[in-house]
Amino acid sequence: MTGADVLVRAGRLASEGVPFALATVVGVRRPASTRRGDRALVTSEGELVGWIGGACSEPIVVREALRAIADGESRLVRIGPAGEAAAGAHPDAVIAASSCASEGVVEVLVEPQLPEPLLAVLGDSPAAESLARLAPEVGWRVTRELAQDAEAVVVATMGHDDETTLAAALEHGVPYVGLVASARRASVVLAALRERGVDEDALARVRSPAGLDLGPSTQPEIAVAVLAELVAWRHSRAPVPATPAVAVDPVCGMEVAVDAAKEIATYEGHEYYFCGPGCRSRFEADPASYVTVEAS
Amino acid sequence: MRDILPTLERWAADGVKAATATVVSTERSAPRDPGAALAVSESGDVAGSVTGGCVEPAVYEEAREVLAGGEARLRTYGIADEEAFEVGLPCGGTVNILVAPLDPQLIGPLADAVREERPVAMVTPLSGANAGVSRLVSADGPSDGEVDERARELLARGNTAIVEVDGAEVFVSSFAPRPNMYVFGAVDHAAALAEIGRFLGYRVTVCDARARFVTPERFPEVDELVVDWPDRFLEQAPVDERTAICVLTHDHKFDIPLLKAAVATPAGYIGAMGSRRTTAEREERLRAEGVTDEQLARIRAPIGLKLGGRTPEEVAVAIAAQLIQTVHDRSQAPEPVAG
Repeated sequence: MTGADVLVRAGRLASEGVPFALATVVGVRRPASTRRGDRALVTSEGELVGWIGGACSEPIVVREALRAIADGESRLVRIGPAGEAAAGAHPDAVIAASSCASEGVVEVLVEPQLPEPLLAVLGDSPAAESLARLAPEVGWRVTRELAQDAEAVVVATMGHDDETTLAAALEHGVPYVGLVASARRASVVLAALRERGVDEDALARVRSPAGLDLGPSTQPEIAVAVLAELVAWRHSRAPVPATPAVAVDPVCGMEVAVDAAKEIATYEGHEYYFCGPGCRSRFEADPASYVTVEAS
Repeated sequence: MRDILPTLERWAADGVKAATATVVSTERSAPRDPGAALAVSESGDVAGSVTGGCVEPAVYEEAREVLAGGEARLRTYGIADEEAFEVGLPCGGTVNILVAPLDPQLIGPLADAVREERPVAMVTPLSGANAGVSRLVSADGPSDGEVDERARELLARGNTAIVEVDGAEVFVSSFAPRPNMYVFGAVDHAAALAEIGRFLGYRVTVCDARARFVTPERFPEVDELVVDWPDRFLEQAPVDERTAICVLTHDHKFDIPLLKAAVATPAGYIGAMGSRRTTAEREERLRAEGVTDEQLARIRAPIGLKLGGRTPEEVAVAIAAQLIQTVHDRSQAPEPVAG
């Protein structure tokens, strides 16, 4: 697969709204099996397509790619022999000691490509219509139904069964839940939710009225106020806490992404994950010695 | 009512009688603002709306009665919250709606004024012998007493509301031309701001001295594109309290003379783009040009609420939000004493 093929595939994934990370070799100190400009993409399942160097670099790039997909941040990864990779590295580069015999150092830029967040706009009030029209401009995908994977739900039904919609959004754990209603109407809706057994913590998550407080507003102004709050909310949010599980290769000590690991061995009921077949066969030849090392 | 004027014009031209139901005031949250109207023709056709569809059936019946020769009437639709629940009806707000026969003679002149962006108010007494009988008041011309004066005050601010004169309530529906938004600097942010500005009801002009950037391809969403020096353009452009001036040039060469001109106008919103450092430098230069602290305080800089967005579209939302906030701050300020 050429670098161009990788980009074609990346474009396809992006258009399908599938998350992935693009890994590009940006620096090489020879000897190394890769050149600047070599590229690969890593799916959220940890599958690597393309070429950024062989078995020495791949597990590290996959691990960092999965981290990038999880937190949305790009990272520069510097891979080389222990003790040498750090020399001359950019201060915020991720330093990774390769367990290979290769003496080269490779720098890889890992960029997550995440689909735009999904906003569910519920209701057909004028404010809802406007919000649905404006939100794509600021980088939201919009649905008019309650979707389980929505990151934000704005309920602006003008009263047509707000409670059911809100209860469902809270139950799905949608991070941003906003209600467009007067204070009095909102208090009635919240009381109804309470009666249905929705707990106080969940009720406290309902932003009501949704939107920044910009003063008494017309319908178009309400739409802009909600949009402004969504922009602020998206940028103030802490990175997603879910980090991919990582295990330490008991042979070489490298951190390996568990979900993407291809080399796995079971010993005394425990699973062990390896950076490559070399480490696994060494482990399998004498597992007891490595397990002791890990336990200490 | 603005949205249904084309339909009303057609009915008037065809000699079709009609009655209108107009929102004259609202309490708490209501789906539509004062001035929103629904019209019913004698053949039963409907145009427009007064709420999100919740009181329309009741209003329709009232309009039919008026068309059948009934008197103009003021109706209040306040839906108790408990009741709202049971019937699945909305809002918890209250709307006051005037249902009255439509005078076809008014429609032509009103539609012309709106098309030509001439300010005009429709004035309708809510009680007394002339209840429900509307007439038009333009921004100039001879004044016909206190009602006209009060109507003109509202019209100048683009407000639609009920005024009380000698103990009688009169509904003033302003058909003010769209307020102007002047955007200086033909940058990507300007295109995004123009779009949201138009959405908020502004007539948007984008001005830049560099002709090659001021093209309809880059700015499909604007009312007017101007190639001129920003300060020279602003000095001859109409500016009133509803005008928004957005300075996105972030180049001292343009900014300084432009902002100096801007603070000399009554514009309701002046914002200037630039980093905090640029802003500080710019303030120094403006002071050196004789701009006072009071004038400087009118400039929102760096422009826009701090929302953390980075794309031009996100910045445009931040500017629009600040503009809305500023407009409301001003509308809540004590009315200036006429003098």
